[in-house]
Amino acid sequence: MLIGIDVGGTFTDAVAVKNGRVLAWYKSKTSPEDLLGSLLSALDGVLRETGGERPERVTFSTTLVTNLIVEKKYEPAALILIPGPGLNPDDYPFGEGVWVVEGAIDYRGREIVPLNREQVRQAALQAREAGYRKIAVVGKFSQRNNAHENQALEIITSVYPEAEIFLGHEVSGQLNFPRRAATTRYTAATASRVRDFCRAVQAALRERKIDAPAFVLKADGSSLPLEIVEKWPLETVYSGPAASALGVLAMTPPGETTVVIDIGGTTTDLALILSGFPLLSSRGAVVEGINTSVRSLAVRSLPLGGDSPLLLREGRVELGQQRQGPARAAGGPVPTLTDALNVLGLARYGDVEASRTALEDLARLSGQEGGEDLARQAVEQAVATVKRGVDEMFLAWEQEPAYRVWEVMQPRRERPRNVAGVGGGSLGMAEAVAQALGCRPLTVPYAPVANAVGAAVARPTVTVTLRLDTERGIFSVLEEGYQGTLSRSGRFGEEDALNLAREWLERRRQRLGVDDAGEEEITEKEVFNVVRGWVTTGRIYQITLQSGRGILTWVIGGEVNG
Amino acid sequence: MADKLGLCFFPAFDWAISPTHPEREERLLYTRDQLFEEGVMDLPGIKEYRPGVASYKDIARVHFCLPDVASQVTEAHLIAAGGAITLAEAWRRGEVERAFALVRPPGHHAMRVVHGNRGFCNINNEAIMVEYLRQKYGIRRVAIVDTDVHHGDGTQDIYWHDPDVLFISFHQDGRTLYPGTGFANELGGPLALARTINIPLPPGTTDEGLHYVIDNLVLPILADFAPELVVNSAGQDNHYTDPLANMRVSAQGYARLNEKLAPDIAVLEGGYAIETALPYVNLAIVLAMAGRDYSRVVEPDYDPARLTLSPEKMDYIKRLTAQLREIWEHRDRLDWERIYSGKDFYQRSKSIYYDTSNIHEEQVEKLRLCPDCHGYLTIETTAFHSRGRRVRAYCITVPFLGCENCRQRAYDDFQAAIKKGLYDFVLIQDRVEDRYYTHNCHTGKTEEIT
Repeated sequence: MLIGIDVGGTFTDAVAVKNGRVLAWYKSKTSPEDLLGSLLSALDGVLRETGGERPERVTFSTTLVTNLIVEKKYEPAALILIPGPGLNPDDYPFGEGVWVVEGAIDYRGREIVPLNREQVRQAALQAREAGYRKIAVVGKFSQRNNAHENQALEIITSVYPEAEIFLGHEVSGQLNFPRRAATTRYTAATASRVRDFCRAVQAALRERKIDAPAFVLKADGSSLPLEIVEKWPLETVYSGPAASALGVLAMTPPGETTVVIDIGGTTTDLALILSGFPLLSSRGAVVEGINTSVRSLAVRSLPLGGDSPLLLREGRVELGQQRQGPARAAGGPVPTLTDALNVLGLARYGDVEASRTALEDLARLSGQEGGEDLARQAVEQAVATVKRGVDEMFLAWEQEPAYRVWEVMQPRRERPRNVAGVGGGSLGMAEAVAQALGCRPLTVPYAPVANAVGAAVARPTVTVTLRLDTERGIFSVLEEGYQGTLSRSGRFGEEDALNLAREWLERRRQRLGVDDAGEEEITEKEVFNVVRGWVTTGRIYQITLQSGRGILTWVIGGEVNG
Repeated sequence: MADKLGLCFFPAFDWAISPTHPEREERLLYTRDQLFEEGVMDLPGIKEYRPGVASYKDIARVHFCLPDVASQVTEAHLIAAGGAITLAEAWRRGEVERAFALVRPPGHHAMRVVHGNRGFCNINNEAIMVEYLRQKYGIRRVAIVDTDVHHGDGTQDIYWHDPDVLFISFHQDGRTLYPGTGFANELGGPLALARTINIPLPPGTTDEGLHYVIDNLVLPILADFAPELVVNSAGQDNHYTDPLANMRVSAQGYARLNEKLAPDIAVLEGGYAIETALPYVNLAIVLAMAGRDYSRVVEPDYDPARLTLSPEKMDYIKRLTAQLREIWEHRDRLDWERIYSGKDFYQRSKSIYYDTSNIHEEQVEKLRLCPDCHGYLTIETTAFHSRGRRVRAYCITVPFLGCENCRQRAYDDFQAAIKKGLYDFVLIQDRVEDRYYTHNCHTGKTEEIT
């Protein structure tokens, strides 16, 4: 039995899945001040109905980190940068509490300017003076050589032993210094809160005698073991859309291309499943307007929702962007998109009669008979907005940069086959959007708790990126923050490099205690000759291996009345 | 609002001339590392584009490829040219203020007739982009400034007779470097005198020497010419660490150059110091073109004290600048009608060597001195390949905005050449109607290139 819990902004849902069926589900309101309480009451709610069956795995998706950041409830962290030559660090959007110190590593991990130890010492003292208890240290190309970050750690610890210090190379291995800096700083700022939360969850699980491994869903739809989330807390930001995409994936035919629509009160989130794989954003998660190195699903948010008000303009209806309250069907002040859906029979939400009256009143105001025409106009407009959003997403995906001949020569062209609505307000709209896109509307069986289903069936993943420079005789494993030397001399071929990567993938899998890892795939492989004086003197390999993302089991049938 | 800078980064990580050739896979690897680690693509005002793929027609608009386009280009070439076209479109549509195509393989040694690869180039990315823009949008006046250390002999050849395209190339003196041309007296054809300007610089020229030329020659000429489009044919091998040349320009020198030149579109050419120069020079150019602070982009071993220019060389550069400036200022007083009076055609002969492909070519070029347009041009070419293979072709080009009379005569010439029986191929570029034909004299078939 797999347990999935989604602590969302409004509702906390829990489900138990076994043999491809939802055994039980539980839905309750989230209390934003007590996320732990919300989570545990949902867990208890679903456990009560499964009659003492032992869970094999528990997976959470939580807004904890998203809330900490959105509400600025984190403790600010100081940022010490070692940028070396390049952009002016003032051009990065890091605001206050930033110290820049001298020192430089180049793209091949060679030290070109030694670290200015005195500047690091001064920065640490000043950060303490300014009241920072957490310090993030990030160097350019630190994922190629972490020596400067490690030296800085030593120096800061010696002058400011109470400081909690976070190093860039331990947080992200990607090439992108500003994203790594932002991510490390957010990690520093949220780690202790996340640690407290995760420990409380662990204690609560023990109390309930649940010894199943527990995981937290990440923004890219894979998951992290609960015990190590505190090292990469930011990875759990925006896991809601990932949960719903996985939930839809679990309930749709394998390998198909599906548009996932999640219509809320004021916004509509779109996600894509391309041939069975949730599409990732090429830019990483954006937090407070800042790019981070967190891999996340590509999600497009449209300013459109069930509460979008219907406004009259020259005898025609327009959807306003400013929410004025809930739908008339829910006792709100003005008719909204939800009322229009009710009138057309595309939804049955709240007081349908109130919706009808509201639309008729609106029609009379514009000198027309009956409200159906206006309702149709409103829904057509909403559908057009969603369709435009979907088209733009596909276009953006088709136009993603490519750096190899074969990638450019294989133009990306794919069109959706299914439209799936998740979230309360989406069901009627999904059908209308499907029609406009020439797709099949998918009835997602457990739509109101799709996110929890997604969390339950999310496959845990393990990734390693190996970078190997045979001329310099060094290699690094980015995710492990490991940098070592090649023990053997002689020719180091592509197969040797792949095997070394596999070795590290296995080591990491064991270390993280991931049993259900999917089949490994090579997500990136680059081989370059290093040439000196017209002779090949070495090779640079960059190989990324990942155990498959996706879901553990399909889920079929069933109804949930949210 | 338009973005400041459009970037098309196409390093062709899976294409090389040969494994240890300078034009190989990892040429832009460290540039990629530097640009991506800096987070350049995330900067507000910078927009990254996926390269398009140029069509054979886009290439035939510029080149006579022999025996055909397919045998002269690989997919990588189509993408490099396509990337330049993608950015040209974005620039023209007003999506970006400027654009930089960081693409390979390069192109500025590719001439109008192409029998093989010369100087690492098969097709001329800048010319293909410029002719695309002219054909599609009617842009007329264009300036191409070639900032590669090697003379841009291919671009010069293509625009030699075109008074609407100003071609300026500064480079290391041809007596000391491939391709051995680009002397100050190469000034363009009779109808386009001084629309080709060559500035051969002494080996060892520094930022100071280069910027003297920019300030006192290139910028004033550009201001006079007032082009609708300025293209930088952006080679980075003037750098002090380049292994194939002997100049002493720094990343800062290159950045300032692009700041002053303010090209609408830059297209990457050569530059083979793939570790010591390219990561820094490319980053500096990108920042300069995007209007950002580039002052901290400095090579690890940069020492201005070691990069100085002797007074003798500086004097030489000053004299050369003054001479060329004078030629430019008198450009319209040259009375070509008197010089060529009574003649219908201007003729010249050329020998061309393809270093990469080891081909020797002989050309006879004839331009009709037309009172109504830039005149149609014919090129009789014979290429001597290795092992005695010989290819002869007759090529005719009707100019952009050519007159009906020239166009008619060009087609008559096309038919006459086919009948002559002397050639393997007869080709015509009808740039008025944007149609391009190749006649294969062995099969007797005429094909349109689409």
